[in-house]
Amino acid sequence: MNGYGGSILRVNLTEGRITRTPTSPGLARDYIGGRGFGIYTLYHEVPKGADPLGPENKLIISTGPFAGTMVPGGGKCDWTTKSPLTGGYADASMGGHFTAELRYAGLDSIILEGISPKPVYLFIDDDTVELRDAAPYWGKGVFDVEDEFKKKYGEEFQIAAIGPGGENRVLYACVNHDIGRQAGRGGVGAVMGSKQVKAIVLHGTKSIPVADVAGLRTASLALFKACKEAEMTRDWTRYGTNIVSSWCDEVGALPTHNFQAGSYEGAKTLSGPVMREQLVVMDKGCFACPCPCGKYSRLKKYKSHLEGPEYETVGLFGANLGISDLQDVGECNRLCDEYGIDAISAGVCVGWAMECYERGLLTKADCDGLELKWGNVEAVHATIRKIAFREGKLGELLAQGTKKAAETVGGGSEKFAIHVKGMEQSAYATHSATAMLLAYMTGDVGAHHNRSWAITYDLQVGRDKVVPEKVARIIWLQDFRPMFETLGCCRLQWVELGIDRDLYMPALDAIVGGAHTWKEMEHIGARIWNLTRLYWAREIEGFDRSWDMPSPRFYSEPPKSGATQGQITRLEDVNKLLDIYYEQRGWDANGLPTPETLKNLQLDQVVL
Amino acid sequence: MRLYINNSLCSGCRACLVTCSVNLFQENNPKKAALVLIPHFPEPGGYEMKVCTQCGDCAQVCPTEAIKQNERGAYYVDRAECNLCEACVPECLEDVMFVNTKHADTAWKCDLCGDCVSVCGTFALSIGEIDAVPA
Amino acid sequence: MTVMLRLHPALRSYVEGKPELTAAPGASVRAVLSDAGIPVELVAAVIVNDEQRDKDYVLQAGDRVRLLAVIGGG
Repeated sequence: MNGYGGSILRVNLTEGRITRTPTSPGLARDYIGGRGFGIYTLYHEVPKGADPLGPENKLIISTGPFAGTMVPGGGKCDWTTKSPLTGGYADASMGGHFTAELRYAGLDSIILEGISPKPVYLFIDDDTVELRDAAPYWGKGVFDVEDEFKKKYGEEFQIAAIGPGGENRVLYACVNHDIGRQAGRGGVGAVMGSKQVKAIVLHGTKSIPVADVAGLRTASLALFKACKEAEMTRDWTRYGTNIVSSWCDEVGALPTHNFQAGSYEGAKTLSGPVMREQLVVMDKGCFACPCPCGKYSRLKKYKSHLEGPEYETVGLFGANLGISDLQDVGECNRLCDEYGIDAISAGVCVGWAMECYERGLLTKADCDGLELKWGNVEAVHATIRKIAFREGKLGELLAQGTKKAAETVGGGSEKFAIHVKGMEQSAYATHSATAMLLAYMTGDVGAHHNRSWAITYDLQVGRDKVVPEKVARIIWLQDFRPMFETLGCCRLQWVELGIDRDLYMPALDAIVGGAHTWKEMEHIGARIWNLTRLYWAREIEGFDRSWDMPSPRFYSEPPKSGATQGQITRLEDVNKLLDIYYEQRGWDANGLPTPETLKNLQLDQVVL
Repeated sequence: MRLYINNSLCSGCRACLVTCSVNLFQENNPKKAALVLIPHFPEPGGYEMKVCTQCGDCAQVCPTEAIKQNERGAYYVDRAECNLCEACVPECLEDVMFVNTKHADTAWKCDLCGDCVSVCGTFALSIGEIDAVPA
Repeated sequence: MTVMLRLHPALRSYVEGKPELTAAPGASVRAVLSDAGIPVELVAAVIVNDEQRDKDYVLQAGDRVRLLAVIGGG
């Protein structure tokens, strides 16, 4: 089948049995790949009510037609599972070089099932696929593990590994790859750890079947030309994701002191130029990316290296915790990566804990002697370690994630637990940015900005406006943006450089054959979106619109300082946004897809 | 003319490798490329690439005269003439002469198509005159 | 000698589609934006001679300036 590796690898860890089945053309046609394969498999194969950390859950790693080819940024795979953090749907998109290697091994998807009786790693080298003993690696941080596997098997091998975070089933544990790339959010690392899989060690030497190689070459060269000539490329490459932090501070989007405000007095020392000057060694790129945003950095203060910090960490471990030194933030980022926990969820969770400490809801004793005051860098570094090892009262509490930790501590701390559906909000403060607020409310993994991002749009239309066009924009972005990853490539060439998205369709046609349009992709995107919604409704007892509500902070606590001082969204506007969203999505008043909507997406066969 | 690499600009993305294999074999497969990427992590942190300098040593030792010069003046392997004797491989100072019968029934090398330069987003790769004096 | 400030495509609608602004050395970027009627908060980054600066940067003769907007985001 053109454009596909050709096989799905099923690994039954309980029985140690590995089978390979051909990728179904129907699945490829209707769900493309990536998270499309993920949700289809999750919905149909993981039984309702499965324990996310139990044997019935599955971890599905999939990619799509662009991956491993000449298409720029063709290095993305999606890791889908039932989330131990939220109890609903999770998927995490991972870049780097693992995805391409998956395709060269002839694979479109790996499905991890059951639980291994002892720690193993999945070894794949073309057609040799084995579960090997991971005892020598269990307990180690991901950097050491990746290094050891590369020395053992060769530099061409690509490694995805969990750290102690995943082994200890921290509910937001992640999977790490190539130093600075993660399948980050939703606890995919915890699921992998619950299955006792330490790593996937991958190598392939096959070619990817393509319908029209000459056409692919022409289309790809045009894409690369557009990327290299885009206005933003040079500056995006120079500064990476941290290019936005000073601006976020200016417009009140930089989360400060657990999202109490959107501007931070220490923002200047966290900026892109300071990072470039103090930290950056080189620009490090994912597969076939012409605008490498990864920043390989040296932390002189800590005598360590990391790939990062990213904007998210600058926001959530910097401004959010009152830390102003980029090297301190960098070390937070590095610790999260080494131990394998999602830096976004961790930063928000620690921010919540600091606010609890400020209010006396957590005492020094509750924090195992740590003084969790804003800006206390040593305490933050120690806390990250505690979380990864679930050590002490504090580690055990925070390893549950912010929502559950707030339920445990109570005392009103639920009101400032910044999450939606149990997924911590990523680094954009939304006191007065209604489209972005809606993006977080309705994101299909919870409060993550990956599906739709609308800060500039909010500023253009009017921050506090609640109008149908804002909702329409969010919906369009949700149906469209994630299709890049579903197709197997990074979205940031379109998102950041603003290249013409129509340049991608000739490449798709050349790879899989036929004639494709973005309208078709968005239709499939809507299908995936609605099936994901059905999954939430199936798995969460009493799932209703209350699960789409944001943290109360965003409709009741105007910031006392900064660019959005005194501004807040009204609760009635939050509800109005949601009403318009449900209407435009074709969902009922409880946020469930109507039968007509399901029929239009060919999902009417799916039974709740 | 020959390829040049500025290692300090290389991001390790491998766009050049997959593009090279498309040129040489009409396949998307970096294992069949004619340049080599060498990562250096964690220290000092960076990538090194080996590229063909068009020195012609491979052509000199080829017993079947399979290595010829194309319209760009670059040395390339005429597959019909290559008998896989591998005399060329150890001659290459940059280790960018390839023989692997799993992948191809011919030796392969860079033919200076220039596509790698087109897809190098960081301008690490370029094509220029062969220096009379080594740098 | 005027300074040219290249505008991100998303900012051009405020100046009838012009791709560049001109300004005199000695003006701050903020003032130039304000005079041109471009909402300051839409400009996500100010790049002067390939280095990111803030909006209070005072333009000097010969500066090459790019004014960026982030449309797609993260």
